[in-house]
Amino acid sequence: MRQTAGTLNRTWLTILGIIVLAAGIGLLLQASGQLHSLANTAPSSERVVTGDLHAVTSPQWVVVVILIAGIIVGVLGLLWMLAQVPRKNAADTYRLHDDGAQGFTVCDPSVLATAVENQVNTLPGVVTSSALLRGTATDPDLTLKVTVNDRTDVQDLIHRIQTSTLPDLSNALETPLQKSRLQIDVSGRTQGTGTVVHSTGTVLQ
Amino acid sequence: MNRQGAHQLPPTAAEDAASGSYGGGDDDIGSRGHTVLANRVIEKIAGQVANDESSAGGSSGGFLGIGAHADLSARPKASVELNGNIATVSVEVGLLYPVPLRRATEDLRQRIRGRVTELTGVEVRQVDIKVAWLTSEGAAPGRRRLL
Repeated sequence: MRQTAGTLNRTWLTILGIIVLAAGIGLLLQASGQLHSLANTAPSSERVVTGDLHAVTSPQWVVVVILIAGIIVGVLGLLWMLAQVPRKNAADTYRLHDDGAQGFTVCDPSVLATAVENQVNTLPGVVTSSALLRGTATDPDLTLKVTVNDRTDVQDLIHRIQTSTLPDLSNALETPLQKSRLQIDVSGRTQGTGTVVHSTGTVLQ
Repeated sequence: MNRQGAHQLPPTAAEDAASGSYGGGDDDIGSRGHTVLANRVIEKIAGQVANDESSAGGSSGGFLGIGAHADLSARPKASVELNGNIATVSVEVGLLYPVPLRRATEDLRQRIRGRVTELTGVEVRQVDIKVAWLTSEGAAPGRRRLL
């Protein structure tokens, strides 16, 4: 149900990997003495810095630049760590009006999620369910977690969700669902709400 | 004359005609008194129209808003903001699931606008609708049919 920073991690790890790989190749070439012939740099035995290093670091602006660069790297690292916290990223209020001049029509996504949950809970074998809507009213995105009893016919349940729950939600929003994810969990508990049986008896007048 | 939170009905064409027939003329309309409409009247009318003429419902029961439950037969909560003869109505409704929400709320908006203007003479310019809950037909509470 919660979203993690998978893409961000992959991107940054790729960037850092390429940098470290390039540095490693450079060090290997330098150590083996081939960097001198390839890039026309100083050979490994020669001293590059001849004078006193203190003269380079003594100006005030060098310290300030290093300090700012350090703070930027630190903040980026901290933001990356904070991005690891799994988030729900639930949608904001769905706006269902086309033109605000006539008045606004709003619906909280949790209202729709509750309606979906109530509907799924009446399906045979469902112990509990939880729905989460993301996206916008025109591009809705449903994540549904259904906990079923261990004797439930899962294929039948999936079929029922695909033929009744999802079309009902897209009918209510009058737009097809952009994405729908279904997670099925199995539990030893029995269905709490009782199975809804449609009446087939004769109505007495 | 026009108290805060209340709306004074403007003299309509029918009233003008009536005043003419009684020999009063336009000058002494004020001397016959004023009809003052409280905001709550328009709020109740809007709520009742929403409940009667569509499937929208409100919530009932509970104490101080705690423990209230969704009820399709209850009157939806409405609030009105009046600026002269122009009103902005906000209603909080519950609807049946799965009705097409855009279409249902647009119908509701047109009905509230039409009926409130017809019954009170106040021009309803905007109707803000908030869908507060959705209930499925099978679980609709409080509506049992006696066979």
